[in-house]
Amino acid sequence: MTILHLLIPVTLVMGLTGLGAFFWSLRNRQYEDLEGDAERILHDDNDTPMPPRKETIR
Amino acid sequence: MRSDQPTNPSIFQDVVLTAPTIRCGSCVAKIERSLTGIPGVARVRANLTLRRINVTLAQADGALQNVLAELENIGHPSRLIDSADLSAEAKDDTEVALLKAVAVSGFGAMNVMLLSVAVWSGASDATRDSFHLISGMIALPIVLYAARFFFTSAWGALRRASMNMDVPIALAIALALALSIFETLRGGEEVFFDAAVTLTFFLLIGRYLDYRMRGKARSAMAGLQRLAVREAWEVTSEGALRVVAADAICPGMVLRILAGERTPVDLRITSGASDLDRSLVTGESAPVAVAAGDEVEAGALNLTGPVDAVALRPVSESFLAMSMRMLAGAEESRSTYVRIADRAAQLYAPLIHLVAFATFVGWSLATGDWHRAAFVAISVLIVTCPCALALAVPVAHVVASSRLMAEGILIKDGSALERLANATRAVWDKTGTLTDGSPVLVENLDATPNACAAATLAAYSAHPVARCIATAQIGPALLVDEVSEYPGFGVEGRINGRRARLGRPSWVADIAGEMTKGDGPAFAFAGEQMQRFPLRETLREGANEAVGALRGAGLPSEILSGDAPAAVASVAAQLEIQDTQAGLTPQDKVTHLQDLLAQGERPLMVGDGLNDTAALATAHVSMSPASATEAGRAAADFVFLREGLDAVPLALSVARRTAAIVRQNFGLAIAYNCIAVPLAIAGHVTPLFAAIAMSGSSIAVVANSLRLNRRRMTPSAPRLQEVTV
Amino acid sequence: MMENLTIAERQQAMLLSGGLALVGLVLAIVGHGDAMGAHGWITLFFAGGLFFVVGNALYAPEPTLDRTTNYYDDPTKVGILLSLFWAVVAMGVGVWVAAQLAWPDFRFDAPWSSFGRIRPVHTSGVIFGFGGNALIATSYHVMQRTSRARLAGHVSPWFVLLGFNLFCIIAASGYLMGITQSKEYAEPEWYADIWLVIVWVTYFVLYMRTLARRNEPHIYVANWYYMAFILVVAVLHIVNNLAVPASFGAAKSYSAFSGVQDAMTQWWYGHNAVAFFLTAGFLGMLYYFLPKRAGRPIYSYRLSILSFWGIVFFYIWAGSHHLHYTAVPQWVQTLGMTFSVMLLVPSWASAGNALMTLNGAWGKVRDDATLRFMMVAAVFYGLSTFEGSFMAIRAVNSLSHYTDWTIGHVHAGAMGWVALITFGSIYAVVPILWRREGMYSPKLVEWHFWLALSGTVIYVFAMWNSGIIQGLMWRTYTESGTLAYSFTDSLVAMHPYYVARTIGGAFFLSGAIIGAFNVIMTIRKVREDTPELDYPTKSEAGEPAVPAAE
Repeated sequence: MTILHLLIPVTLVMGLTGLGAFFWSLRNRQYEDLEGDAERILHDDNDTPMPPRKETIR
Repeated sequence: MRSDQPTNPSIFQDVVLTAPTIRCGSCVAKIERSLTGIPGVARVRANLTLRRINVTLAQADGALQNVLAELENIGHPSRLIDSADLSAEAKDDTEVALLKAVAVSGFGAMNVMLLSVAVWSGASDATRDSFHLISGMIALPIVLYAARFFFTSAWGALRRASMNMDVPIALAIALALALSIFETLRGGEEVFFDAAVTLTFFLLIGRYLDYRMRGKARSAMAGLQRLAVREAWEVTSEGALRVVAADAICPGMVLRILAGERTPVDLRITSGASDLDRSLVTGESAPVAVAAGDEVEAGALNLTGPVDAVALRPVSESFLAMSMRMLAGAEESRSTYVRIADRAAQLYAPLIHLVAFATFVGWSLATGDWHRAAFVAISVLIVTCPCALALAVPVAHVVASSRLMAEGILIKDGSALERLANATRAVWDKTGTLTDGSPVLVENLDATPNACAAATLAAYSAHPVARCIATAQIGPALLVDEVSEYPGFGVEGRINGRRARLGRPSWVADIAGEMTKGDGPAFAFAGEQMQRFPLRETLREGANEAVGALRGAGLPSEILSGDAPAAVASVAAQLEIQDTQAGLTPQDKVTHLQDLLAQGERPLMVGDGLNDTAALATAHVSMSPASATEAGRAAADFVFLREGLDAVPLALSVARRTAAIVRQNFGLAIAYNCIAVPLAIAGHVTPLFAAIAMSGSSIAVVANSLRLNRRRMTPSAPRLQEVTV
Repeated sequence: MMENLTIAERQQAMLLSGGLALVGLVLAIVGHGDAMGAHGWITLFFAGGLFFVVGNALYAPEPTLDRTTNYYDDPTKVGILLSLFWAVVAMGVGVWVAAQLAWPDFRFDAPWSSFGRIRPVHTSGVIFGFGGNALIATSYHVMQRTSRARLAGHVSPWFVLLGFNLFCIIAASGYLMGITQSKEYAEPEWYADIWLVIVWVTYFVLYMRTLARRNEPHIYVANWYYMAFILVVAVLHIVNNLAVPASFGAAKSYSAFSGVQDAMTQWWYGHNAVAFFLTAGFLGMLYYFLPKRAGRPIYSYRLSILSFWGIVFFYIWAGSHHLHYTAVPQWVQTLGMTFSVMLLVPSWASAGNALMTLNGAWGKVRDDATLRFMMVAAVFYGLSTFEGSFMAIRAVNSLSHYTDWTIGHVHAGAMGWVALITFGSIYAVVPILWRREGMYSPKLVEWHFWLALSGTVIYVFAMWNSGIIQGLMWRTYTESGTLAYSFTDSLVAMHPYYVARTIGGAFFLSGAIIGAFNVIMTIRKVREDTPELDYPTKSEAGEPAVPAAE
């Protein structure tokens, strides 16, 4: 099954990419408010984009 | 929708508000929509899970006040959350590191498992060898990264010449890895890479959950310390602002306290006016207006606008520091409680080392094949996987904690659940705990001229006593002018040309003709007889049911209060409680609890005020309502968010059920060991078996713990609005 | 639609289509005498047509409004229509191909209409034409709405959509001409594969750019599923289609792999195509449109995230269950079997999550056919993933391999899950896109639902029966140890089931035609005065929130 010499590394790389994406999502605080995020899609009543987030200096 | 120019355009501040009335997504959307339009607001984000609102505000006068007013307007009254509560919840580095390790080891476990399954399914010879090699290349770095927590902890214990749970774990992982590497190099048939990584994965899950539960065990001391401000703005002689460390503040230094900040030291205000939250001291979070000349203690929260103030005393002599010293003594006794899991660990570690070693010796003697003996001994170590053990307690606690959270009960520490489960007695504070702190007129008032006038004046004050008079609907409001409120004393005004005062009897007596004896606040027209308005307290919702439920669960109740005996007796009578003590100082309460503990009782203390803090820390386990003072919430093990006292019997019932589940989990773990260990000793444990056994036992424990989620525990508890569609 | 593009963008579009037309010309010249030449001409006309369409409107008025104040829905609208077009065409071919099994002479005595050639027109047409366009269109919609930001480009969405459709056209026309790599769901040849990579990379970049400029900080879970679909399909496609063209002037190429290696690669691709194209992508659709239509949040958002990561990690290795009892080593088969069974867990987590979201709102499911499409889709998802895991067990597979049961399984998933969720999503999104109060005829939606459901049931039942009969007949031995039935015997026994299969497919096709009609009539209805949107099932603001179980 020499093809596995190709398929296993390819799969591992895909898996690592997934892991990296998971780490990114943790860092980007994607899981802070799971209840609210599930509800948000139901409340864009006027079907228009939001204004871009303002830049603020702290 | 442009923001107006803020006063200080370069300073934006993040504030966090707590908004307990957020129920669903439309609340979130409504809040974000309404607040975005307010000048000075740069960013709004509501959090439904935590029921909070994060706002980025320009540091302008009134910006925060506008936000709070708008929130009140749309039906979501909110208040500033304290940095103490916030930082107590912040994920610290260890927690994030643990979660990452879980993810990495999970990923590794899946990939190594795939290669292992291939081998177990019959891949042989060169294929098997190369799979072993690949497994090793994946497993080694992953285990070194993810399992480092166990290695460092085990090493730390061994250096102290003691043993903890992590020693056998680290040993098992390390030996499994070493053996597998050896076998791979020699072309052997069986390796344990799979076991090493899977073991790491399951144990890390347990460790992560455990850390989350323990992480909330902040001592009240730490909670109070977090109230202490580390830095403040000093106003220099040129009028510029400069950062100064709290420790460096000397009496006489002029400081500026911005809205949303806490006072670092005891101060006297020199300019500006604002409202402060002085709940640390008074127990009331209702804003207190302050202006130049008022003295304020350290730890008060500035709500509305910036004020300048001169420091009165250094940090070490502040009110806050005094409170901390009082707590220190009380908390020492708490730390001696040893959690069940730790007790189990003390037994477990030496036991399995012994068994593994004996296995090795036995096999060596019996077969003379030390290689095989090592193999079997290591498999014994691996299979006595403390996975189930490591998961048994934290999983149950996590599930219980989220169950409680859904009912509005916050729990600080896993051990609190254990302690609540074995409590033997309930000790209640009166004011603000059994009663809800809002007074009620004893008798309905007739519409006499005095009463009407009193009600009219009362409408000009937000003080709870005034409110209860104002809302008593005595009669039509009269015309009044020149009204002013004197904080701490009362309200004065002119009604039909006559001067009148409502408030503290001694202050009213200054203008009244005669002093009238009696209870409650006084009212008088200038020169006339004073009238008193006796008040009584209302029992908190569910108080009767709670005390009854606890009694039914085997916990008798008693009341400890600093209030007058008559008031205490009246409340006790309503609740059918016989044991009461009145007129107690905070120290008295602590002493009484210590006596109870010495007698072998395990008291549950429920209290709220600052005068309960030390008592809450002394008791075997404690609860306080969310309306409690800062320090009270910090000292208690459980905080309940809802108004009613039904939280207390509910928490008790959940705690007891959790204790039962934990016992069952231990039972499962032991049963598993009883089956697995003999098999391992007999040499039947292959890597496949080990993998299945580990997963199986862990899943069993988790599944058993999930039973805590089933809502059939509290027939007496009124539920949150359940939904039917 | 041109009025929503700036002149610069139109010029860019002309440049791209002009370039593509040139490529087509080159292919036509270089491939002269080979079927590839015909594809060159097709490309030339396709791209050339685009060039002139854009060119005609090059100097039409430019958009005046600030475009960031609304979403860019033109590509989405066209994508939906294209998806429906392919549905009708490809399902029509499907019915035809099924009929050929029952009535082999149902062809025009010409090579192009033979079974071997029209079958892949059906499979590619439904998967890529119908499903692919639906995925692209809905992903444009979902990523914009959940990011609360407009698409990050005006030319690239069109490039992706139209480029993808060119791929589909090349594929379908190629099959009819006899061009095929003989790899299931990967039949198009090397030049089409290269083109798809270009289109797909553009798609990926567009998605990432739009997410990067999101105004809503949280990336809704549906986007993760779409992203996984885009990324994994790209890798699978590239690896599986690695090939050496026999010459640059002809369509024929030779796969980089051969024998069992190639078989393994093909089914590593094939099964993961099912997993990430037909499952992950459509789960993205489900997780957005189901809660939106029902007006309720996902039952357990946390679970949806967990099952996402579960699917990502578990699915990749299930492929070899297609190769039971072949020359592939035993342990590879066992490996595939093990993972196939394990992936039941994340699959059922998703199906359960979807159904629990509707728990307590069954009244809405009863009254709203669109929602019912989605609910039944979730049920079929659960059923077919169970069936798939079951069939992956070697013992079961010994009966089912090469039989019609496999086809039945495919169609339970394709018709019951993929098509139903797509139609449900289309019915949900069309009123929003075209600013209508509802579909032109809710009654026709009902008709479609029942035709689709009955068509699926008839089809699947027929295939279960025929498959098991085939399997049993093939392994029945006489006392003397010889086969009791000849292959032809089993073929004859199939006849009634093939007829039933055609009927089931015809029902399904009629439903699709009705759906296409309904959508077109909805679009043609006079524009409503109020720009406000009203979903047919209003999500009542006053409806109390459902306590989410976490």
